[in-house]
Amino acid sequence: MTAGQRRPIEDRPFVWLAPLFLLLAVLYLYPLIDVTRLSLTDATDAATPAHYTFASYRSLLGSSEFLAMTRVALIFVAASIAGQLVFGLLIAALVCAGERRRLPGAALVRAIVLVGWVLPGVVIGIIWKLLLDESGAGIIAYAASLLGGRNPTFLSAPGPALFWVTMANIWRGTAFSMIMQYAGMKTVPPELYEAATVDGAGALQKFRHVTLPSLRGILLINLVLITIATLNTFDMVLPLTGGGPGRATEVVALYIYHLVFSEFQFGRGAAVAVVLMAIGLALSACYARMLRRERAA
Amino acid sequence: MAGSAAIYAGYIVVALIFLFPLLWVASLSLRPMAELFAFPPRLVPEHPTLAAYRDVLAGSPLARYLLNSVKLVSATVLCALAIAVPSAYALSCLRFRRPLLKPVVMLGMLAVQLISPLVIALPLYRWFSGLGLINSHTAVVLVYVALSAPFATWMLTGFLDTVPVALDEAARIDGCSRLQSLLRVLLPVMLPGLAATAILLAISTWGQFIVPFVLLTRSDLYPVSVGILDFQSSMDSVSTHLLAAAAILSALPAMLTFLVLQRFIVGALTAGAVKG
Repeated sequence: MTAGQRRPIEDRPFVWLAPLFLLLAVLYLYPLIDVTRLSLTDATDAATPAHYTFASYRSLLGSSEFLAMTRVALIFVAASIAGQLVFGLLIAALVCAGERRRLPGAALVRAIVLVGWVLPGVVIGIIWKLLLDESGAGIIAYAASLLGGRNPTFLSAPGPALFWVTMANIWRGTAFSMIMQYAGMKTVPPELYEAATVDGAGALQKFRHVTLPSLRGILLINLVLITIATLNTFDMVLPLTGGGPGRATEVVALYIYHLVFSEFQFGRGAAVAVVLMAIGLALSACYARMLRRERAA
Repeated sequence: MAGSAAIYAGYIVVALIFLFPLLWVASLSLRPMAELFAFPPRLVPEHPTLAAYRDVLAGSPLARYLLNSVKLVSATVLCALAIAVPSAYALSCLRFRRPLLKPVVMLGMLAVQLISPLVIALPLYRWFSGLGLINSHTAVVLVYVALSAPFATWMLTGFLDTVPVALDEAARIDGCSRLQSLLRVLLPVMLPGLAATAILLAISTWGQFIVPFVLLTRSDLYPVSVGILDFQSSMDSVSTHLLAAAAILSALPAMLTFLVLQRFIVGALTAGAVKG
């Protein structure tokens, strides 16, 4: 190309995008390559030099801790996304039903649900820790005692701890699912509901045959996004249980953190991080495909 | 109408589930120590007092943590917008030589957000240790900006797409350079979008935890999200009211911002969700 044909510099998109790309290259791309490289080493901490080896990945597969963590993470993720999808859908349907009848209060309910979502994760962990206090000051313990439970255990026994960590995560994440489903429901043409009413459909039938089919695309996207968010959960669990008792609530991110900063096994921590990243990338690839299909539809 | 009554019953249940935890913690924070273990527990304290807030703000490092957070959040929002505005302009108003590149860049903006900050914080910790950048607020802000600029770019591109192209063209015909057109003509028009983006960035950065947790080791530099964890581990059960007050104080800025501007934010969020 000759100089005469060249576009003026201000017309070139990549000139405007350069600061962003530079930042992402240095603080995203380079770290991602570096963490992959580190996962192939026996690095112990930040300072000491390391040798290349596959041992990190190999040892993970044989490690009972890794298998135990995978079990905890699977339960946590599966139960969280099920809860968030179902409650998000129910609340969105409720708010939409209220709006269709022009009942006041829908906006208030929406705002209340979203408050849980804007709270910092650490604060959510502390709030639930206070609610679940097993001494006299805990309100959930008191409620349990009214129902006949004596000396209930919430966070001090493995099973209940995992249950309550999951509940707290559902409480936190439902708002996001709700707002996505709500936005999706808003795009359903009202005529469809009117037609259903004329055909004599009840509220449940409308939900089943009008709302749900129209939401298919959004539900799938929602599913991918909350799966990733739940997989990455870290801040909320720390004040709530710290991963305990024992390692009963040690989710993936917490496991990585412990490997690197408590056990000084940087290489193994990086290997788990790479696995986590690979799952994330695979899910985002699904997400991208769904987005394209949604746009095409 | 039975239907409306059922809907209101639903509203009340939902509001209780999402509000009660907060109300309970607010109630704990307003109690004198003697009422902490009152039995049966009551939501409204008998002798409410703000003493816990006074003690926390005056007698603990929480005020310093809050100040650090304000510093980090404002620097991050400003820098992220400064990077995102030109990027959004390129994505929305400029012609790419290969048309396929634009959707690829847009998808990339979404994809990077799906990577856990922990994954990049690990190598950054090693790298920054070598460079002596551990315990540097500047380094933390840089990472925050990298985490939030893609989201900001993506949001702002959406807003710029709604601004008529004619505006940009008219400004250019009148002799503005592209930069002048962006700063003097387009920015004022997209101010609501800019504000919504800034608010969402501020709320998410306020809650950001992993990056400062890994990159800061000196407690006087902690933002409130990390500081309150430190605060929690230094507490025992007789100081529950202090922890509750600290939790409320660290959540308050994000909560108030959200409540005051919630219509605005919900609009921006739902617009984004529908666009995909």
